[in-house]
Amino acid sequence: MRKVWALGMCLVMGMQVGLWADEPYKLQIPPGLPPLKVPQDNPLTAKKVELGRQLYFDPRLSRDNTISCASCHDPTKGWSNGERFATGVRGQVGGRSAPTIINAAYNRFQFWDGRAGSLEEQALGPIQNPIEMDMTLEEVVAKLNKIEGYRRQFREVFGTDVTADGIAKAIAAFERTILSGGAPYDRYKAGDKNALSPAAVRGMKLFFGKANCAACHSGPNFTDNGFHNLGVGWNNKDPDLGRYLVTKQEGDKGAFKTPTLREIARTAPYMHDGSHKTLEDVVRFYNKGGNPNPYLDEEIFPLDLTDQEIQDLVTFLKEGLSSPNYPMVKPPQLPK
Amino acid sequence: MRRCTRILLSWACLLALTTSLQAQDQKKEKSASEQQKKPAAAKPAEKPAADSKVKTRDLVINLYNPCGVAVQPDTGHVYISGSGYQRILRFTPPKENQMPTIAEVINGFPKDVYGKGPKYEIGPLGLVFVSKNLLAVGGGGNPDGKEVLWFFDVSQIKDQPIDTKAAKHVAGPIPKSEKTNRGEGNFYALAYDGKAIYITTNGDDTKGWIARCPINNGTPGKLELFIATKPQVETTDAPVGITLSPDGKLVVGQAGEINVPEDSLLCFYNIQTGKLELKLETPLYDIVALAYHPKSKTLYALDFAWMAPDKGGLFRLDVTTGQQPSLKVTKVLSLDKPTAMAFAPDGTLYITLIGTAKEGDKYKPGKLIEVTGLE
Repeated sequence: MRKVWALGMCLVMGMQVGLWADEPYKLQIPPGLPPLKVPQDNPLTAKKVELGRQLYFDPRLSRDNTISCASCHDPTKGWSNGERFATGVRGQVGGRSAPTIINAAYNRFQFWDGRAGSLEEQALGPIQNPIEMDMTLEEVVAKLNKIEGYRRQFREVFGTDVTADGIAKAIAAFERTILSGGAPYDRYKAGDKNALSPAAVRGMKLFFGKANCAACHSGPNFTDNGFHNLGVGWNNKDPDLGRYLVTKQEGDKGAFKTPTLREIARTAPYMHDGSHKTLEDVVRFYNKGGNPNPYLDEEIFPLDLTDQEIQDLVTFLKEGLSSPNYPMVKPPQLPK
Repeated sequence: MRRCTRILLSWACLLALTTSLQAQDQKKEKSASEQQKKPAAAKPAEKPAADSKVKTRDLVINLYNPCGVAVQPDTGHVYISGSGYQRILRFTPPKENQMPTIAEVINGFPKDVYGKGPKYEIGPLGLVFVSKNLLAVGGGGNPDGKEVLWFFDVSQIKDQPIDTKAAKHVAGPIPKSEKTNRGEGNFYALAYDGKAIYITTNGDDTKGWIARCPINNGTPGKLELFIATKPQVETTDAPVGITLSPDGKLVVGQAGEINVPEDSLLCFYNIQTGKLELKLETPLYDIVALAYHPKSKTLYALDFAWMAPDKGGLFRLDVTTGQQPSLKVTKVLSLDKPTAMAFAPDGTLYITLIGTAKEGDKYKPGKLIEVTGLE
């Protein structure tokens, strides 16, 4: 009798924590990146990551079945969209560019203004945004529950039918696997002095010195996870106030999250409003000290870089931070 | 009877201090003349848990952005950076049959504004005594690259405050160079080991410098860059809190970004080589001060918590070293924007707070508080 009771308890516990014969996902952390912190209530498992991959690429999460996560965060376009702004259902265009999700697993905040504190929290945002996927959570849950392939997988992974919480966790789990490291910069740092060209080495020294890039683009993921005002878009009639819209702190006006620079060569156009088409444009913008405004970050000031130094810096960004093991993922077959 | 005496003393203390400060502020602010002359109803610092032995008491109120504190050896006088009014104040704690006093002793420091909103007017910042009477004052009012470290012989201060021109020595500045893009400024906090002063600075955020000023026979040498903290920890810059461990390490609180929560680091550097020996992540927002209890050798930290002041306060940090170093963080007190602290030899802790101004307040919200009962 006691054994039966114990077995029953194991089954109940298994249902609660979603351990339905699902194996842990073997995540390979690329060289140069630190160990990844995974939320205790959303461990990476093989089936969950696969489910997340399907949800990520599935346009049925949008009202008119045209927009998936991958529409704006496309692996073939640096996990961004190659456009100035994100485009949603019915051709609606948002006001900010689509940030890459590469290494978003390391981000302290998600979205340009940091309004989400985790990938799980972020994942449901675009689904409910009327400009992006334009669904309510009730609608998307009901819609996916009509797809037997999803219902079966949700039961296997979470022990439930499709839920909003499960959607968020599965997409977040998949996004945690999109990592880029092992770039020439990492190899150079590890001791391979031939990993970077002479121009890239010069650019690297500028990056960590005169060009002041590392004041904000610091650490293994090249971001301080903070928010800074560069003056981008400040000349517009109604400038985007960025982080201020979340915190209401005066000093956060016009401040946006520092993005990673890994795979930066693939994620043009740049800045939160996609206003700079090339990395040369970006560096020249910084070189003039950004765009003056009352909230300009103290780390933004004229750099006095020469044309040669600008070219060297761009070479480092393109050559040094592009991994030969770029995280390319092909769209899966979607469940029916 | 004894309790009654203590309450009277405390009330008398506040009355004397408030009246004194009002008089000083009239020099600085026209609006001060509009202030009522009766003492402010000083709000107590947040009380620790009822069963705690830790007690707090407001010693000086009506301070404007106090950002530094140091206890003079022998006398026990407490010096405060009245940063918002660009001056140094001296608080004389009460003794038997002696009323406490507060006096402006040094003024004329340059002024700057820190932050973009909230904004803080600042002047002198970190304080430390390098001998019985020689007080080092870290500047905060000059632009980066022009900031200096002042030294004042406080025994020369009589009835009237002295001006910065009366400084006995001035060290610095640290101008723009290949090592520092902007030159260094905002000398937040100072620590002295008998040979040199170590200064946390704000300037080049790609490096996050700690500067060093050797002291030879009471005379400062050249103020120079010493430890680039950021390249060693990779992620977090902004060294602010600094102290010396009982075994001679330089202990540094690296505050990180003011708009990022829980990103402060506690770092231990070799004082000879400047090399990082231990880095511990903390759940604190912005460590601005560190100090060891003089008797128990327990480490304490102040968290300013810029983006969430309700999270700020005094914390006990229990560090375990060895194969797997660890850190236990315990909140001792909630405090409203604490900035600096210094222990007296008997274990009494003095803390400066900026506080939060409320509409209609007659007084500035800054304070000097006393904390006793710490272990």
